[in-house]
Amino acid sequence: MPSNPSRSNSCRFEGCTLTGALTVTTSVRDSVTVVHGPAGCAHHNFSLLHSTGLDHDCITVPHILSSGLLDTEIIFGGEKALGQAIASAVSRRPKSVFVLSTCIAETIGDDVTAVCGSGWDVPVIPIPTAGFLGGSFQAGVNNALTTIAGMAQPCRNDGGINIIGEKNLEYEVEQNYAEVVRLLSLLGLPVNLRFIHNLSTAEIMGVGKASLNILRDEGVAGVGERLFRQCGTPFIPAFPTGLLGTIAFLDRTADACGVQSRTAVLEELAIQESMLDDFSDIAGSCISVDHLMNGCPDYSFIHDVTEALHISVKPEGTRVPLPVSAPVGTAGVRRMLHRWRRAIHA
Amino acid sequence: MPECENPLWPCAMTGAAACLAGFDGITVIIHGSSGCYYYPTTLLHAPLQGTFILENEVIFGSEARLHEVIGEVQGTGKRIAVVTTCVPAILGEDIRSMLSSHDVILVDSPGFSGDFGKGYHAALSVLAPETDPSVAGINIDGVSLFDPFYRGNVREVIRLLARAGVPVGLILCRDRFDRVRHAAPFTIGTDGDLASGVGTFLGSTLGFEALSETFSQIGHALECADVEPVLADIRHEEERVVQACDKYLRRFDPPSVAIFSSFSYAAFAARTLDRYLDADILCIGSRNGIKEDVPYPVETATGLSDVQRLIGNCTPDLVIGSSFERSVKGEATFIGITPPLRGSVRLASHPLAGTEGVLFLIEAVLNACMDRQQSPS
Repeated sequence: MPSNPSRSNSCRFEGCTLTGALTVTTSVRDSVTVVHGPAGCAHHNFSLLHSTGLDHDCITVPHILSSGLLDTEIIFGGEKALGQAIASAVSRRPKSVFVLSTCIAETIGDDVTAVCGSGWDVPVIPIPTAGFLGGSFQAGVNNALTTIAGMAQPCRNDGGINIIGEKNLEYEVEQNYAEVVRLLSLLGLPVNLRFIHNLSTAEIMGVGKASLNILRDEGVAGVGERLFRQCGTPFIPAFPTGLLGTIAFLDRTADACGVQSRTAVLEELAIQESMLDDFSDIAGSCISVDHLMNGCPDYSFIHDVTEALHISVKPEGTRVPLPVSAPVGTAGVRRMLHRWRRAIHA
Repeated sequence: MPECENPLWPCAMTGAAACLAGFDGITVIIHGSSGCYYYPTTLLHAPLQGTFILENEVIFGSEARLHEVIGEVQGTGKRIAVVTTCVPAILGEDIRSMLSSHDVILVDSPGFSGDFGKGYHAALSVLAPETDPSVAGINIDGVSLFDPFYRGNVREVIRLLARAGVPVGLILCRDRFDRVRHAAPFTIGTDGDLASGVGTFLGSTLGFEALSETFSQIGHALECADVEPVLADIRHEEERVVQACDKYLRRFDPPSVAIFSSFSYAAFAARTLDRYLDADILCIGSRNGIKEDVPYPVETATGLSDVQRLIGNCTPDLVIGSSFERSVKGEATFIGITPPLRGSVRLASHPLAGTEGVLFLIEAVLNACMDRQQSPS
């Protein structure tokens, strides 16, 4: 992260509510998101989402429409500009329109909810965001997921699994998803949908079909609780991390779905053993990890890895990189160990 | 302002930050929220600072927070520059008065006040560069950290000036801050949209024709200059370009081209491809308005829907633009000259200015067009 002098109040660095919400709403592929604020706010976020999409080999672009507030609207109010932007969005015949506010619109006091409720031809859904006035990046994600969860309709449970609250900007988002799908397949469990990752508005309605929701991490616990109240779907609070965590995940998921885990666990333990054999050349090494530099707040996942490979962790050891988020599943640990090996052999 | 779908050009705040952060010796503080801080920081690859204001400061005022951050970054010997963002700008606080006890540069450039260029020039006007008659040489302007070609442009123009035996004056905006009031009396440009107005302008460095005229002007203006080696280089490199384009045209038809960029770069690309490749310039979509008459269809295109419409209407063989255009180019081939250029690794310092700039553009276009012609349909 770039240098910043003041760490006295960590909530200052938790990002923009608008950005968090946009990572969700722009994943509804037949929708348009209206950003009520200056064009710069929409550009900043569009550029970020576009860049992330390219990293994920996704060449489609999100549909973001800015109300384009300028000095005049700042002085006299921006509700008319918002109405025009929503009308323009609706004219493109999307299945849904999400309206996100910005800190500037919040400061001048525009009534976004009232404008959204003006009888449009498609659902126009305001999502509580207001840049930094709305809270953190994660609050934006949660607000969007929770609001959109309200669109779900009662439906019959078909035994699938929902993946809830993936970090759509995460560089490894697809690899993490693939690892969870692989683990679920060991248990014979299919995925119902990814809430919300490249969904249509109609697909959202089917979020209640699943027998279990698996949350990306505890940051979206509120969304899991909301879906439990609304659809009665139980949830597992986080993706599996580390070696032992992956085995525990298999047991817990199997319990929740009423299936046997023994075969899957044995199979996964064999995969883990084989994977660790591949890294026998770094067994017995001495490493150091700097959680402040690497940004990963949770150390627990490395203990079973270092123990399995008899790697000692000391301040004078070779400094190895940690992933930004804890590695997901056995595959995540393998990718982390490749980076460790590069550092150890450098 | 009408609504804009997927806006493609940064706001005035980012422009001001790009100008100020180009000077070693200035610490730039973005006075606003974390969201307003992170974007220019990632875009400009510059160590910006931020006040990261919260709701509390919106209600009770941001003065204490601003003083806190200034207190944390001062004492390094660098001059502090504060750039205001949208919310502080409308809170009604007298930020200039707040900062009266500090030796601070204040640039009032909130995002809603305009686009990138407006903020860049607002910051430049506050810095108020001045010429110093005792300083010999030529200034280089039009340089911006936002431009992926800025580093290559600076190196290329310095190389050409050295070839002519001319010292380099002030580089706007990529120089030491203590040199701002010591600009040379003459200036040449790498991007006319970001012209500084400092010193006597001798011309552009975009394209062989402009480059020849500019160095001829330098020869007239500076007695110490020996521009003939540069003019000889231009003739030599132009001949290489002619030969390469001629060889291409022996096998293939000229490309039909849609160009999306800032006006200055777009006009340069259009003229170059028209002149050497007989390209059909179907349209220019300018990110920042129309600055002068050009013999090509041109309109302002600031949103992705504008770009999609223009590409859809003219169905070009070749699209020149940013990674936004690459995403909507359809069957056309693509080369990137416009920020942002995401999704590809860029480590080398390619220029668009100077002789090497023309060579880079032509090389990229010919290779892209030949790949397209030769790829199985």
